[in-house]
Amino acid sequence: MNEKVKRLLTPEGVQDLLPGLAGQKREVERGIQEIFGRWGYREVSTPAFEYSANFVGDMKAELEDKTYRFSDERGRSLVLRPDFTLPLARVAATYLAGEVKPLRLCYGGNIYRYASSRQGKQRELAQAGVELIGCAGAGSDAEVIALAAGVLKELGLSEFTLCLGHVGFLQKLLDSYGVEQEAGDQIKDFFNKKDFVSLKDMVNSLPLSETIKENILRIPALRGGKEVLSEAAGMAPEGAAHDSLDTLAEIWQALDDYGVSSFITLDLGLVRTMEYYTGMVFEGYTTGMGYPICGGGRYDQLLGNFGPEQPAVGFALNLDHLLDVLQRIKKLPAVSGFTYMAYEQGSRQRAFAAALELRAQGQKVVVDTEYRTKDDALCESKARGALRMLYFISEVAEDEVVSGEDETTC
Amino acid sequence: MLAVNDWLTIALAKGRILPPTLDLFERAGIGCGQLREKTRKLIFSVDEHRLRFILAKPTDIPTYVEYGVADLGIVGKDVLLEQEKELYELLDLKIGPCRLSVAQKCGCGEAAGGYVATKYPRVAEKYFQNRGKQFEVIKLHGSIELAPLLNLADIIVDLVSTGKTLKENNLVEVETIAHITSRLIANPGSYQVKGARVSTLVNMLEQALLEGEEAQC
Repeated sequence: MNEKVKRLLTPEGVQDLLPGLAGQKREVERGIQEIFGRWGYREVSTPAFEYSANFVGDMKAELEDKTYRFSDERGRSLVLRPDFTLPLARVAATYLAGEVKPLRLCYGGNIYRYASSRQGKQRELAQAGVELIGCAGAGSDAEVIALAAGVLKELGLSEFTLCLGHVGFLQKLLDSYGVEQEAGDQIKDFFNKKDFVSLKDMVNSLPLSETIKENILRIPALRGGKEVLSEAAGMAPEGAAHDSLDTLAEIWQALDDYGVSSFITLDLGLVRTMEYYTGMVFEGYTTGMGYPICGGGRYDQLLGNFGPEQPAVGFALNLDHLLDVLQRIKKLPAVSGFTYMAYEQGSRQRAFAAALELRAQGQKVVVDTEYRTKDDALCESKARGALRMLYFISEVAEDEVVSGEDETTC
Repeated sequence: MLAVNDWLTIALAKGRILPPTLDLFERAGIGCGQLREKTRKLIFSVDEHRLRFILAKPTDIPTYVEYGVADLGIVGKDVLLEQEKELYELLDLKIGPCRLSVAQKCGCGEAAGGYVATKYPRVAEKYFQNRGKQFEVIKLHGSIELAPLLNLADIIVDLVSTGKTLKENNLVEVETIAHITSRLIANPGSYQVKGARVSTLVNMLEQALLEGEEAQC
């Protein structure tokens, strides 16, 4: 490869956004933050890199191998943020510890991970999300899910599903069946990948009763409306797994009151990779997109790493996947056209003043940087794809407006 | 669940495993006789079941499913192992059973390093790396058995079903890397958004598989 070509390339997993899409992405981000704001969430901004120590405690191997780490001038280990929930938890547990609970916080920005499972091939990932801190009830779980559904609807998506599960259900069920931790972790991993073939082989190799094996292998089918909760209750021994089901039932009820239960699919086999989740988890999917467009859950122990323990719940939208979808279903914000302004000698001042006025009204105006004849300006206008042209002439008071469509060819 | 376009598109692999795959669908009550006809058509609709079938090269099936142009696909585990795509693996259809194996020339001792010829470079590399063996992988697209005969490679990694091809080429199977059958795979988005449709189809196929097993007994 020659030197020049090499210099033009970006590293694996990152990309340039060109005029058009870059602006549309910004517009989508702005819209999302505005919706968060309307629900009473206040934006916070955290640094792109932090001490690794802040993350490592909670990063299981899964995330640990996938973060960009480097050291500062004094040899302290830093990490490019691989996730927003941890920094937000840090901020909430320290600077905002004294504030009245619950805290409603939101954020937007990039996270960095070596191409990891469940995220696709990108290494710089744009996210926007919220954290609701200081509430433990199903009502707060439902609020963030309803907010996620609200955002997706407002962005123009109609064919999407938020699948809703609870990390406690599978864990407690496996505990009550006496499945060893190592086997349990592997079972959860198969659920996470939805590799039901390996799951079946694995479960059938365990020293469990036939009924228990059948029950575990029935979990993938526990998907759908709230009727799956009673079906699930039938196979779980009395006790802890039932608490998870009760919580899900309460959340479902609240989501029904929010008017969004038609977007929800209960999925009792839903497992998310982050280890910090302690309760409800959910993921959003749409047709034709192999990766979740959003995801989140409850994490009641995370804040305890930085201060007093506080219940919390949140979610993040995966903007890159979302933009792909919006582009495909043609719901990206429209890029408005602009007016092209040109002038001949003696009329520049008037042109500049007119441009200022139009811009103040919110219009896009491109003013030429040099004098041009009208014919020349017409060509220029056409070449730039302007919506219309305004041409300023010196002697006559009437300036000419040429709309894009009826221009003469040049 | 939402009322969405509830047609399901399924990508099937052309070739050896197509007839038994169609047999399975037919046992499940989904008539797909039109796919057996000798035509050049690649897309078939079964209106009655709101199913669309597309025929593609086996190695392309995960791609169609990954990008969502097919909701589901049926493809050998060997292809899935090699491509490492993040697709859901819903069902083992037990079609086309064989092994992905390491083979070498008869009468050679165990090779600890050298060259390995294969259609599955990623699987081979990972397998030998995990065993602390250094093999340089040579990617071939077919007739892998030629490589050791011509001394292009010391060993090969390839699919073995009866072992007849190996024997005829004076090769012997030394290790099994994985047992291979055809799998039903799903695009995660389709799996979630068209959940009820997918579940119904999985149940139908599962039932047909069970009946097939009983019939064999």
